Amino acid sequence: MPPIIPVEPGRIPEAGFALLSNRIPVYMIEAGTEDIMRIDFTFMAGQAAEYLPLLASTTNMMLTEGSLHYSSSRLNKILDFHGAFYNLYTEKDRAGIVIFFMNKHIEKILELAREIIFDPLFPAAELKTLMKKRLRWYLVNRDKVSSLAIDQLFESIFGKDHPCGRQAVQDDFLNLSPALLSDFHSQYYTPENLAIIVSGKIHRNTVDLLNKFFGELHSAGRSIKESGNVIKSEERKQVHINKKGAVQTAIRIGSLSINKLHPDYPGMKVLNVVLGGYFNSRLMKNIREEKGLTYGIHSVINSLIISGFKVISTEVSKKSTQKAIDEIYKEIQLLQEVPVEKEELGIVKNYMLGEIVRMFDGPFAIAESFRSVWEFGLDNKYYYRLVEKIKTIEPDEITALAKTYYKSDDLYQITAG
Amino acid sequence: MINYNRFTLDNGLRILVHEDRSTPLVAMNIIYDVGSRDEDPGSTGLAHLFEHLMFGGTAHIPEFDKHLLLAGGENNAFTNTDITDYYITLPAGNIEIAFWLESDRMNLLDFSDKNLDIQKSVVIEEYNQRYLNQPYGDAMLILRPLAYKVHPYRWPTIGMDISHIRDVRLPEIRDFFFTHYAPNNAILTLTGNISADSAINLSQKWFGAIEKRNIRTRDLPAEPEQNEARSLTVERDVPVNALYKVWHTGQRTSNDFYILDLITDLLSGGESGRLYTRLVRQKKLFSEIDAYITSDIDPGLIILNGKLMKGVDIHQAEESVNQVINDLKEKYLSSPEMEKVKNKYESSNIFSNTSILNKAMNLSFYDLIGNTDLINNEVDLYRKIDRKMVIEAVNRYFNPSNCSTLYYLSSRKQPK
Repeated sequence: MPPIIPVEPGRIPEAGFALLSNRIPVYMIEAGTEDIMRIDFTFMAGQAAEYLPLLASTTNMMLTEGSLHYSSSRLNKILDFHGAFYNLYTEKDRAGIVIFFMNKHIEKILELAREIIFDPLFPAAELKTLMKKRLRWYLVNRDKVSSLAIDQLFESIFGKDHPCGRQAVQDDFLNLSPALLSDFHSQYYTPENLAIIVSGKIHRNTVDLLNKFFGELHSAGRSIKESGNVIKSEERKQVHINKKGAVQTAIRIGSLSINKLHPDYPGMKVLNVVLGGYFNSRLMKNIREEKGLTYGIHSVINSLIISGFKVISTEVSKKSTQKAIDEIYKEIQLLQEVPVEKEELGIVKNYMLGEIVRMFDGPFAIAESFRSVWEFGLDNKYYYRLVEKIKTIEPDEITALAKTYYKSDDLYQITAG
Repeated sequence: MINYNRFTLDNGLRILVHEDRSTPLVAMNIIYDVGSRDEDPGSTGLAHLFEHLMFGGTAHIPEFDKHLLLAGGENNAFTNTDITDYYITLPAGNIEIAFWLESDRMNLLDFSDKNLDIQKSVVIEEYNQRYLNQPYGDAMLILRPLAYKVHPYRWPTIGMDISHIRDVRLPEIRDFFFTHYAPNNAILTLTGNISADSAINLSQKWFGAIEKRNIRTRDLPAEPEQNEARSLTVERDVPVNALYKVWHTGQRTSNDFYILDLITDLLSGGESGRLYTRLVRQKKLFSEIDAYITSDIDPGLIILNGKLMKGVDIHQAEESVNQVINDLKEKYLSSPEMEKVKNKYESSNIFSNTSILNKAMNLSFYDLIGNTDLINNEVDLYRKIDRKMVIEAVNRYFNPSNCSTLYYLSSRKQPK
């Protein structure tokens, strides 16, 4: 057997920084060999900000449906002609647009990006079409046990009235108007609220060009109202959603949790990997590789500004549902009572250090890793802390974390099938 | 330009290396020239089940994953109709671990009834999760035998019938291994932070001693030309009606593949594709619609699928799809539209080749189909397509007699 060299993530690339004339921050990640670029125009305009169901995502999706100078089809034709790809996104915290393109087209792309982001018209006819389409997608999704279960879990942990927990119903697809979208847009999609993250081959004139297209913009002076949303988790810890004719049952077990800002978070990352965060995890080994009950079982911990949350997810045949649930709790309990063996912990540590190397491999991966700490007001120090924690964590600390954060009374158990 | 070196070991193992020093990682990809097309009709799903078994360990290294994870690596695999592909990425300093692991399992797998039974259950759950428990999940299971009557593409990679998975026994598994898993039936590709010299030396060291094996000769029945329109209607408990249409194409290596790929891009590449613009945006008949060509090595399919908006008659929807296609048969494309799809191809090619793993997979596949240089000149093949070639190809392939249609209807009462 060849010797294994300990994995050492080494220096994590730092992002360059510039301010445009109007103080829009620009973060630059220079890497890669091709003359291509990815730009993320990002706003705190995610689901958590919406005061009506579907408002944040619909506003975002309507950005490319017609603007001051371009109809939607013309806009898309031009972007396609230049070989550009874009991805409109609405997450729980943030929303925006990511555009991938070849550098030779940067001026045209920036001109269109400004138009898309700041001059949308939200035409009524296009909105109506979009909402009809979205309703069809929604209906298809509501036929998937996995969607039913995760939507219910979010409702249970964030509460029925919180935008991150509220489940859309059919009527919600009829209630949005251009005026509502404009109002949301004018509050959240403002130059003051924008950050630009550029990655790829950065040129000497990149910042100048961004200044040319984005540096003069100012908003009409509207500011964001405090949402006043409070998380109020549901009382009922176990919910089953009946789905006629389902072959499998989706299981989601989870709860609110700490986020990246908490000192225990890096340790929780390690605990999560042991439990269900990689192919050799406890849950995979037990429930897939020893019992063959499922095609896959995973656990994640996720970080939002307002809170973190953790979820264990799997789909199993209907008759094995209870068995799988019992085994999940058994694995949690085992982590609370028996220290992880050194050998297993060694595997987890090396796998995680390898993951960190992959998270910083290439400009686009670096840009995503940058954003996921930047949005919490953190910087690379977080990653150095994480690396340090991975290297030094002891079995006892994992046991203690499992006891603190995986109390079975705190966990919500959702099944759909 | 992607530079690569190519070697063949005495035992027939083909090796490709592309050095890219901009990454601290190396990707290792192994294609075995076996897919579900190589299965017997009475025992389908074997190639894919076998992929699962390849992670079950050997007498020499009982736990495949453990060592790779200790080396900071990550791995996975997939099986399709033509190939089984295993891939690893790991920090460059530990690349020899990947050689050690892959050569060991190529040499001899540890076959046990226990592992076989577990992986059978896992695959059955995979079948349930992907095909039975998803709305529209079984559409391709229905379409394949409609479009193919003879060729093994008539069954899906997961298997024609799940009982085939249940019933397979260890001797068959063992036989499958020795007739398909061998150095002379594989392509090993390395990309990333590794030199050609180092790659060839390590390949010789770890794979050089594995002996050639007798590979089962591939003698697949050719699918006869389809000369009548076929259609099928099914009713399922799904929320909305869906339309599927498939047309037979030529071989992956023929120039028609590129022309047809370009045509499917014209039809549905991006938001400005013709199907999307006309049928989703303008006529509002579909909530989504997509068309693509399969990358099958033997003559494959163009697959078009769309979900209907409420209250739309499926035959009216189909008629409007036909109109969009007929337009392409009659009118030459404008140059900007041609240019648009070619630019898009060029750009997606550049973006796809920023990943060492993609580069490794692409190099391996192009080598398998006999033209490794496609990694660099496939874009030119698209560039050379002209309007006349497009009109000819649409007329040749998009005929009702070459088409199978599936009307996938909702059995629910449509709510008002």
